Amino acid sequence: MPKSSSPVPDIPLLRTAWDYADERLGLGEVMALAAKKTVPQHKHSFWYYWGGISLFFFLVQCVTGVLLLVYYRPGPEAYESVRAITYDIEFGWLVRSAHSWSANLMVFSIFVHMFSVFFMKAYRKPREFGWWSGLGLLGLAMIFGFSGYLLPMDELAFFATKVGLEIPATMPVVGEFIGNMVRGGPDVNANTIQRFFALHVVILPALFIPLLMFHLWLVQRHGNAVPPGEEKKPASERRSIPFFPNFMAKDLAMWLLALNVLALLASLYPWQLGPEADPLAPAPVGIHPEWYFMSQFQVLKVLGEWFPGLTGEILGLAIFTGGGLLWALIPLFDTGSRFEQRARIATWIGFFALAAIAITTIWGYAALE
Amino acid sequence: MNYPVWDVPGIGSGWVIGMIAIFHVMISHFAIGGGLYLPIAEATAMKRGRKDWLEFLPRHSKFFLILTGVYGAVSGVGIWFAIGLAAPEATSTLIHNFVFGWAIEWVFFMVELSTVAVYYYTWNRIPARLHLKVGWLYAAASIMTLVVINGILTFMLTPGEAWLAVAGTGEESSKFFQAFFNPTYWPSLILRTLVCLSLAGIWALVTGSLLDGDRQAALKTTVVRWSVLWLLPSFFLMPFVFLWYLLVIPESAKDLLSLGVSTIGSGTFTQVTRTVLISIMSSATIVFVAYFIAYRHPREFRFGYACMLLIVALLATASTEQAREMLRKPYVVGEHMYSNAVRKTPVKIDGKMVTEVEHFNTSGYLTNTPWATGDEKVAWAKTDSERETRIVPVSTGESQRPAATPETLWRGELMFRGQCLACHTREGYRSMKRLLHGREYESIGNALGMLHDYSEDSPYRAFMPPLVGTEGEIEALQVYLDQLVNGTAESTPSQSVVAEPDKGDSTGHAESAGG
Repeated sequence: MPKSSSPVPDIPLLRTAWDYADERLGLGEVMALAAKKTVPQHKHSFWYYWGGISLFFFLVQCVTGVLLLVYYRPGPEAYESVRAITYDIEFGWLVRSAHSWSANLMVFSIFVHMFSVFFMKAYRKPREFGWWSGLGLLGLAMIFGFSGYLLPMDELAFFATKVGLEIPATMPVVGEFIGNMVRGGPDVNANTIQRFFALHVVILPALFIPLLMFHLWLVQRHGNAVPPGEEKKPASERRSIPFFPNFMAKDLAMWLLALNVLALLASLYPWQLGPEADPLAPAPVGIHPEWYFMSQFQVLKVLGEWFPGLTGEILGLAIFTGGGLLWALIPLFDTGSRFEQRARIATWIGFFALAAIAITTIWGYAALE
Repeated sequence: MNYPVWDVPGIGSGWVIGMIAIFHVMISHFAIGGGLYLPIAEATAMKRGRKDWLEFLPRHSKFFLILTGVYGAVSGVGIWFAIGLAAPEATSTLIHNFVFGWAIEWVFFMVELSTVAVYYYTWNRIPARLHLKVGWLYAAASIMTLVVINGILTFMLTPGEAWLAVAGTGEESSKFFQAFFNPTYWPSLILRTLVCLSLAGIWALVTGSLLDGDRQAALKTTVVRWSVLWLLPSFFLMPFVFLWYLLVIPESAKDLLSLGVSTIGSGTFTQVTRTVLISIMSSATIVFVAYFIAYRHPREFRFGYACMLLIVALLATASTEQAREMLRKPYVVGEHMYSNAVRKTPVKIDGKMVTEVEHFNTSGYLTNTPWATGDEKVAWAKTDSERETRIVPVSTGESQRPAATPETLWRGELMFRGQCLACHTREGYRSMKRLLHGREYESIGNALGMLHDYSEDSPYRAFMPPLVGTEGEIEALQVYLDQLVNGTAESTPSQSVVAEPDKGDSTGHAESAGG
């Protein structure tokens, strides 16, 4: 980038600093690339922000997670350390609340992002790998949530994890082996916390971060997809805005709004810590997983009632496996606007999935009453 | 309906008022700020010869008329209903002092409603200069409604020394102007005026966002940018006026804030402070978001973005109003009436000036509540005097407690409804079940004892009113709360001394509390 197009104000000191950095880091090239990149502008542009919002909550997770790491002690002292974080350590309650709330908000944002991508048909060629890597990120985010949920080792976390781990244990042949491996034995105990902790702070980040980088690189490579309605318009009627600074300024404004929502929830509704888990005590009434597992929980519960025994469990696993596969392979079915019938079927599948998740989640909470 | 003690499950009566009030503030402040926006915009358009603005403004004024004239008026009446139900004693105090003020406010309100209708329906039908004058008349009337109502609202936080000196004597209205122009009147008036200007800008952004950025590029650019400028006065002046406001609020409110600031690290006693911080953050966010999304790229500013700004404005309004309400704790009328409707200042009882706290503690709360019938008062007084002989002890390890007879539970529930329900619910907002979770019978008694003793060094003094009543009444409340939280109290056959008028069992007794 020529020096005259430097983005900094024409102040000698700032110009010198910019030139110094530009010469060594090639910032001008990055600026030129950002200025060339555009983002489509249409009535559904609002949905483009949800990927960025998910990323923002992930960054909050990283910062607050590192702060929690300073005081958290996995193993037999887990509960006591979380109690100290929540009640004794200055601003520990706020950091823990921000971590827990941002985890939930991140999963929520990823869900919104996924459905918006689905309905805008942004999984079509050449964006199939973006879709698959996004699904991988959602899966990892949910395992992040599940593994983090146990770490305080309070009553609710203990029993919810115990119930949750019974699901993979029902798989034929390998179920018991997998269950024991994840738990570190036949029961949920301090060993399980140790394993979940390792999973939560080492293994999952090691998988999540490279996959996230890959996903972002694909977004950069292929740009934002436009919905089919916009695609039909002649090029002269399509509008777009520069990524930098127009879209980026709006994206940052969205982050600011997301921060407001997070601050409101974390400060006015701090995350509570229940009584310490007692493995010998009976499970409290109405034990249930986090909201993003409620749909699966309810389906398994209902199938277990309708088809008692192994049949219900296998049926449940078959539905999830089949549904997940269908969802993941949709880019291979709905490949482009040339096949209108397939496009319509895919849209209906999306509506069905959205309705099924919403209804079974609400049903699950209603059944707890 | 369970008037006069209004039992709203889940959210509590306070949030019913809160929700209506937040909605009302969003609209009524827009009515005032927008009242200035319209004639200023019209005058600017005429001065600059902007015909396109004069085509946009009638559309904006239609939206303005419907929103303020219909929803503003309805929600305002809604607040009246709600406060009358949730806090009848406090509402009575306000009416007795400010009935004339309210009458004046209603006159201005009627002028406001009439002129806004004339303003909208006479666009391009009467001479432009005359139309503009109607707009200015509307602006003046709407500002006057704020000038009047602000005196009544601020009175509730800071009634002022002069009014407090005559409170309870029956001559309170003689200090009308002192109560009206109370210590927080001016900073609050300026704060609210700034909020009005901001809301005028934000609502104008809503209608401005509907303009076509391609076909009406110049109009949209100027309207959006001009509307964003309306946010600037509050952004720059609000911190200074807010500091002024903090300087004049009562010591109890300052104590509450400083308690929150000093304990924010541990997260205890910080609800007000946290709400104030949310209010500051969301107010600042509005300006930044409006700059980045609207001012810098006005043609791309769409309805969805405007709605987001509106939501943040709602958040700012909600947190500010809630913080203002909580700052009054433990009073509903500062230094005069506690949030449980018990007066702090002496009142004339049987020809003598005594405090209600003292009176209820010696003569009984239930037996002196204005909401009980004569028969109930007599019966409860008798029950209280015979308490020692009637208690059926139940062994609870090292201590003894009275049996949870239906009659005791009923008296306990009446105490709960009379003194706790204004701020707490059983299982929802500020839930007693959650707050007392893990406490045994004795521990609940200790907490009630602290509230009853109300010692100078108690941290609860900053936000809780004193718990009044005789020993027997407080014990009944203790039994009731234990039953509510632990569900363990043993029950013996009913010894009810007052026949339930409608129902034969103990569960419906509370319905008869009003007599």
